Amino acid sequence: MPVGGRIRKFLEDHGHPAVHVPAVGSHGRSEDAKTALAEVVGGAPLTIVPVGSPTPCPHSMAFLDGIQHHELVGYIGNLPVIEATVAAAVRERQGRSLRTIEVVRESLVLARPAALAALRSALEPARAIALPDRDPEHPVRDVELARAEIDRARMRLERLVRDRYRAKRDAWLIVDGSLAESPLWTSDARMLGVAKSHATMPFDGEDLSTYLRLPFGHRTSLFRPASRRETPVFAWGLRLWPWAGKDVLYGLVRLETPATPAAASMADEISRWVLAERAPISTPDPRWDRLLYGVHLVEEYLRVSGEP
Amino acid sequence: MPTAYLSAMTSPSKTPPVGRVVATELKPSTPHQFYFWTARESPVGIGAIVRVDGEGRVAFGVVTDGFAYSDLSTPIHAVIAAEGDPGAAWRDPTDRVEIRLYAAAVLRHMPEEPLQPVALGEVHLATDDDVVLALRMDGYTVGPNATGIPTGVYAAGGLEAPVYLDADFLLGPEAAHFNVTGVSGLATKTSAVEFLISSTFQTFPAHKGSVAAVCFNVKGPDLLFLDQPGTITDEDRRLYQRLGLNPVPFPNVRYYAPFKADGVNLNSLRTHEGLQSTTEPLVWGLREVLDYAEVLLNRDDIDAKADAFIDFLAERVVGKPYTDDLLENRTFEVKSFADLDAFFRAIFAFMEQMGKGGEVWRTHHIATIRKVRNRLGNISTRSKGLVTDAGQVNDLPWQHFEDRSVHVIDVAGLDPLAQDLVFARVVSKLREHLERRDLGVQHVMVFVDELNKYAPADGQDTYVRKMLLDLSERGRYLGLVLFSAQQFRSQVQRRVVGNAGTAVYGRMDSDELAMPGYGTLSPATKAKLASLPKGELMIRHPHFTQPIFVRFPRPAMLSGREGVERFPPAPDLPFMEAVVRRLRSLVPKVSRDQIASLIDGRREDEVRQALHATIRTRPEDPIAFFRNCLGRRIAAEAPAERRGVRGVRGANDPYANS
Repeated sequence: MPVGGRIRKFLEDHGHPAVHVPAVGSHGRSEDAKTALAEVVGGAPLTIVPVGSPTPCPHSMAFLDGIQHHELVGYIGNLPVIEATVAAAVRERQGRSLRTIEVVRESLVLARPAALAALRSALEPARAIALPDRDPEHPVRDVELARAEIDRARMRLERLVRDRYRAKRDAWLIVDGSLAESPLWTSDARMLGVAKSHATMPFDGEDLSTYLRLPFGHRTSLFRPASRRETPVFAWGLRLWPWAGKDVLYGLVRLETPATPAAASMADEISRWVLAERAPISTPDPRWDRLLYGVHLVEEYLRVSGEP
Repeated sequence: MPTAYLSAMTSPSKTPPVGRVVATELKPSTPHQFYFWTARESPVGIGAIVRVDGEGRVAFGVVTDGFAYSDLSTPIHAVIAAEGDPGAAWRDPTDRVEIRLYAAAVLRHMPEEPLQPVALGEVHLATDDDVVLALRMDGYTVGPNATGIPTGVYAAGGLEAPVYLDADFLLGPEAAHFNVTGVSGLATKTSAVEFLISSTFQTFPAHKGSVAAVCFNVKGPDLLFLDQPGTITDEDRRLYQRLGLNPVPFPNVRYYAPFKADGVNLNSLRTHEGLQSTTEPLVWGLREVLDYAEVLLNRDDIDAKADAFIDFLAERVVGKPYTDDLLENRTFEVKSFADLDAFFRAIFAFMEQMGKGGEVWRTHHIATIRKVRNRLGNISTRSKGLVTDAGQVNDLPWQHFEDRSVHVIDVAGLDPLAQDLVFARVVSKLREHLERRDLGVQHVMVFVDELNKYAPADGQDTYVRKMLLDLSERGRYLGLVLFSAQQFRSQVQRRVVGNAGTAVYGRMDSDELAMPGYGTLSPATKAKLASLPKGELMIRHPHFTQPIFVRFPRPAMLSGREGVERFPPAPDLPFMEAVVRRLRSLVPKVSRDQIASLIDGRREDEVRQALHATIRTRPEDPIAFFRNCLGRRIAAEAPAERRGVRGVRGANDPYANS
């Protein structure tokens, strides 16, 4: 029986309420909308650069992504019990198909220590994560705290599979999101972050207009995102699809590479690779205008490949 | 319980898995069907037999359909990704995820009870042993009373296994009859029948008794060289070896063909001098025809009056002395069509003499008598060569059929009416003798090609169609088995083909496959049937719960086309030369002059009669026998010179001195 089902049965057997409630934002990481002004490399203003025709990467390429899912399974008294699944994988392109090289999955149960103690044997084989119990009981806050813990657990697995993969292979590794999760990533010359999220705006004013109105097949000049002070990266915006008549964020991704001159010199070439990776498109995922197919396949693999 | 059964139940498949059963709410696994996915490069194809290992259960299935699809939700997204350029799609760095999903129909569950849905287990290609179990051949291919008859090789994914038919279900008594269908030239129908008859002869178990075959050659030279070795490839030889058969032609074949209208040249393409010794004329007389007079009558003719008159002729007149006071107390001994015609003429003369009131003779109206005379006379005219006026008969060796013998009757050159007569009489005689158990063999396979012509689905109900229907419905109890072939199964009387326990399908026409009779086949199976290569067939057999595709080797005998090239038919000869040739087939050393001296000055019908008698009797000294048959030569009388009447001489005769 899956961990969630076992915990629910335990709760019912012991007179506690068991529920089936997918928690808010249960399928993805959380991000707050904000502006963190970036530093344009070589000085302002931000400029637009045509990158040329899409060109498939001539080197081996792999894709790294992680998924998370959590669910409120019940209460012990007023303390919510959250069951979560996190997983991460690296899938490498061999020929024209992806093969899974590294994959890890983890099942988690998150609750305050008192609730975890009450659950006892029902927790196995999930890993128990105790939420802080300094503050008064507050189910909503506990769920938010759990969500942050789950984010961290997923990132830990992503770092783990990257390290394991890198110990074996040296292919280009495309990460779904930012490189800033680990100093190891920002020092890896063959890692590339492709961020779909624009919750943090790197510019304001004219530079923001330039950034958001980037034409199809163009990139911005390089910039250093402000939120990456400890793990510096070079970043640039790239428009994957024509956006006329659509939202300004349509087809707009932010690429991140290690902050090295070598990486900077490859910005156009890397942009052309990423443009080539638009096809096949990742439908029916609604984020298909920014979601690379390779990354989509890693997500799909993790989503459908069994219980942890 | 057989060892193979237990072994399969207890030990998992020895071949690596090629797929895995999947079941969804929309495509569930059931006791009769299941779905499985495979790798893109898997050797699984339509018709492949697979094995599914479950917990304590094994299921076998045959692949009936295949599906491939990707994660593309709508075709427009492919256009968007390629920016409208079809060529660009092939430059995608990553191939879309694609599934190869196959549907399989269940052949067998082990254990059979309780009947449950197929387990969601690993799928393996069937090995030899698996094929035996899947097709339930374990019940009839092992043990001292095995009745398996090799029919071809099932092949898939580099594995191949012999497939056997059950003799009890091919030649009776459990089920019987064999029907093959497919387009002309590509379906290898004739080859399939030849191969199966050969295989039956080589493997028919001793405890089942003896077997012979009677084949009607209805077109060209199709079946005329079954005794001659043909050309086969190394691959054919390998298949023969795999099936445990010898690639040899039939060792004991007799050919029968009617004469042409001249009564001496055979109406057949097997007239090459080198093949004469095994080719006999087929000649029937009045009695042989009269017993099957119904064949000659069309629907309008069939009435009680005609029947009664024919019965009267058969019972009272033909073959025995008949005296009639109304016919001036003349005694008739009707043995031939010529005698019969003389008898009719006497009746008409009597009626004419009677004048008014003379429309009836012995309760038979003149119109009825004329109709019967016309119909019977018609056969003698239209089938001159098969039916003799003279009463000399040469027939199949009823009561002397030999085990594993083939009798080919060449009716290709005959008028359709005469063909019907030949079918009706031969099959009826086979039936009679098998009923009496005095044919010489216990089972006879009767091969009829172009079944849609002789037992059509539409059209009037002919005697031949009724006879074929009767054969298909009741023949198996007697050991009389119909092997039939046609281009379009849908155009054959449903009950005739429906009674065939074993049905085989070669390359099929797509229009034919659209007929309702093929509704149980999946679209993929139909597509495979529409493009089957030569030598590959789909088989239905009572033991196989689903149709199975098999390959069979070329028959080891000459095909008709090769045969006429290697043994070109002899040209028709003048009467005397033809007589010499026929007699030389009995006495090779006889000289032309010797025969010429015997028949010189004889009437052709006398010579023909003597020749037929000699061929039929096959005496120790054919020439002496032939001479005796011709009888004593009656020397022609030289007519006395006629003396003219002398003129009267007179003085007034102006020409007297000229």
